[in-house]
Amino acid sequence: MWLVQLLVMPLFEMAFFVYLATFVSPTITSIPFIAVGNAMQVSASASIFAVCNLTSEEKWQGTLIPLIATPANRFPLFLGRAVYQIFNGMATITVGFFYAKYVFGVDMSRADFLALAVVILITCLAMTGFGLMLGSLGLFLRTAMIIANIFLFIGLLVCGVNFPVTDLPVWLQPFSYAIPMTYGTMAARAAVQGANLMMLTPVLLQEIATGIGSILVGYALFIGFEILARKRGTLEEF
Amino acid sequence: MTKYQTFWASFRMSMLNFFVDPQWIIPNIIAPFIYTAVALMFFGNVSSSLALYAVLGGGMMGMWGNTLYGAGFALAQERWTGTLEYVLGTPSRLVWIVAGRSSSSALLGLVNALAVLLVALIGYGAQLGIANPLAFLLALVLTLASLSALGVVFCSAFLLTRSAQVMTNGLEMPIYVASGSMFPIALLPFWSQPMALALGPTWGIDAMRYAAYTTYTGMTGFGYWFNILVLFLSTIIYLTIGFGLFIVVERKVRRDATLEEY
Amino acid sequence: MSERPEKAIVASELRRAYTTTKGVFRKKHITVEAVKGISFDVDHGELFGLLGPNGAGKTTTIKMLTTLLIPTSGTAKVLGFDIVKDVMNIRRRIGIIFGGERGLYYRVSGRENLRYFADLYGVPISKRDKRISDLLDMVGLADRADHRVEGYSRGMKQRLHIAKGLINDPQLIFMDEPTIGLDPEAARETRAMIKGLVEKGKTILLTTHYMFEADELCQRIGVISSGNIVALDSPSELKRFVKDITVVEVEAFGVADTDLAVLRRQPDVTTVNADLEGERQTVRIQTPKGSEFIPVVTKLLSKAKILDVRIKEPTLEDAYLKLVA
Repeated sequence: MWLVQLLVMPLFEMAFFVYLATFVSPTITSIPFIAVGNAMQVSASASIFAVCNLTSEEKWQGTLIPLIATPANRFPLFLGRAVYQIFNGMATITVGFFYAKYVFGVDMSRADFLALAVVILITCLAMTGFGLMLGSLGLFLRTAMIIANIFLFIGLLVCGVNFPVTDLPVWLQPFSYAIPMTYGTMAARAAVQGANLMMLTPVLLQEIATGIGSILVGYALFIGFEILARKRGTLEEF
Repeated sequence: MTKYQTFWASFRMSMLNFFVDPQWIIPNIIAPFIYTAVALMFFGNVSSSLALYAVLGGGMMGMWGNTLYGAGFALAQERWTGTLEYVLGTPSRLVWIVAGRSSSSALLGLVNALAVLLVALIGYGAQLGIANPLAFLLALVLTLASLSALGVVFCSAFLLTRSAQVMTNGLEMPIYVASGSMFPIALLPFWSQPMALALGPTWGIDAMRYAAYTTYTGMTGFGYWFNILVLFLSTIIYLTIGFGLFIVVERKVRRDATLEEY
Repeated sequence: MSERPEKAIVASELRRAYTTTKGVFRKKHITVEAVKGISFDVDHGELFGLLGPNGAGKTTTIKMLTTLLIPTSGTAKVLGFDIVKDVMNIRRRIGIIFGGERGLYYRVSGRENLRYFADLYGVPISKRDKRISDLLDMVGLADRADHRVEGYSRGMKQRLHIAKGLINDPQLIFMDEPTIGLDPEAARETRAMIKGLVEKGKTILLTTHYMFEADELCQRIGVISSGNIVALDSPSELKRFVKDITVVEVEAFGVADTDLAVLRRQPDVTTVNADLEGERQTVRIQTPKGSEFIPVVTKLLSKAKILDVRIKEPTLEDAYLKLVA
């Protein structure tokens, strides 16, 4: 099953938008833009969904209560599991870029692969942090699945995956800049066109900042919800 | 018990369960909703004909997503709640129970189509006109039937695996692409087109476009009624396959004792 | 068209093996035989019990007879129909009550649950609603019928299970541990209902691990242990199996496991069963010696404080312990 997700899903996710763009020939974007953007976005399911599921799944299987009861520091416990997701995300993106070049014909001749690799790594890290924040919500809300689903796909619309963020309505744009992926797609595109690490540093720093910010918010939420959940006794509900 | 009594009972129970907790549909319609939003961004401020493409496509995706969900997740849920055993122990054929559930899900997927329509009308100011509403309605109903029947076929696979949910996610995207929900299948690589044509909903969407646009040439050029015929036949074929598969599945499940596992 | 088959259930050398895998990389297949060749029959109108400890194979047997599992080998006929080949004919005529927390649709009402299953069983629509109301009255759920099942107590859910199991007016009803997890009053009510059903002419096969329940309800009992039937008879006959045994029951506190081990080693002791939890401990010793054994016990348990010693008649439990040991 994991193999299916790794190989099949990125292909179809990218194909959908590429074919759509081929059909419509939109003015605001181009095929390479879309292909690279989606190659990055395919990791979303790894980082966001799976991490968010960590808490929901454990709630379902009733292991959350024993976990909360252990003296081990809780948050790092979840963090440890998230590391696996980071590698999963990176693998998925690599597959995505493979499709971008060989299936959708993106020109990678000028690409700075080292820079691209760094971009991928940082994006996966930052998005996992973002996912952990969503996971904290999962501790408390029964609707963690809805949140996860929203954020899984919202990237397609607001993270500059299919068209530049600047084409979005103005009131929507601040949300874009709160999500690490937005910076990731920008940096990836630049790297494909030849930008090196020096040139990408500003963007990457912004991405790292967003990622760290998410983790901090996530940690705060985690503690806050844990207290509330114990007060209200909702740990077992599912 | 006739198959109608079984089908209707399952349909009704599925609907009841939905209305008790309607929020569960949201995960299934988010994806199509966002895809349509992106599509509408691509379309920009184009003519109403292309906007209808996006809306129809989004609606189709919503129906498909929810049908898959209804078939896949609901059976897994039956397993968790322990009701699957009891249901199997009745003299009703499993295939009709699943068909009822699948149809209910497909129908509820229409909710997505409505949401997408609203957004297109309000958010993008798109103007949509349907040339032949009756023909459109017929195509829509038959597409729902074909989709439900296809759900039954997939469901038999889900009954055998514990990871029904993972399969649900895995199947959605390929279907969106393959059925040409938002773009003509002519764009797809030639080797995948037979697969696309094997899916009833592909013909359904094409038929709906025929009914909506007067100048539509269609994917095969054989016209609206040919599509309707194919749709009708596909439903029968899927149900027949589903029927056969479920007999096999039921026997296997009884042999391997996998009814109760989580 | 068909005359009534002679017996309600005829099981012949039923076997059921499960295969599980162990390990992640080098999978080892382990086959466990849950039922190792069970044969018995049940008459029409009989209340037959399958008695045994957890894991003995009762549930597996009942699932085979209710067509939910295919036996690995062996045959059985339920109401004259083969359990592998004639599945639909059986399902139409039997009721299945497994009880417990699962097996109901929580988010809808009790009535809706019954209606759904009524339809799946093909109860004619003209009869359906009345039958549902009658059943709800019978199990005492009429006033909560339209509330969601998720709000029902354990006992109420059990009652709904019973109503559900009777929805198709079956001739033969299978019940798997019908009173498990119920408080004493609810359990008592359930047993009364079961007796009422037999009085109406229904045939019932029930499984239980409660000895007194089997004793109270069943006309015949099959004692099942590790996948085999070790005895099959009426409760009184089974008790006669231990007629040469008397039971010395000791109430004490301060008895340790080592004391029990010593007791078990005594030559005249058949079995020793003890409940050492709690403040007052009870030790039951099966011995043919009867009252002669009392001084022996007193001496062996001298380190403990003995509160009372009684001679008791062997119960079905004692027969069972002897059989299962």
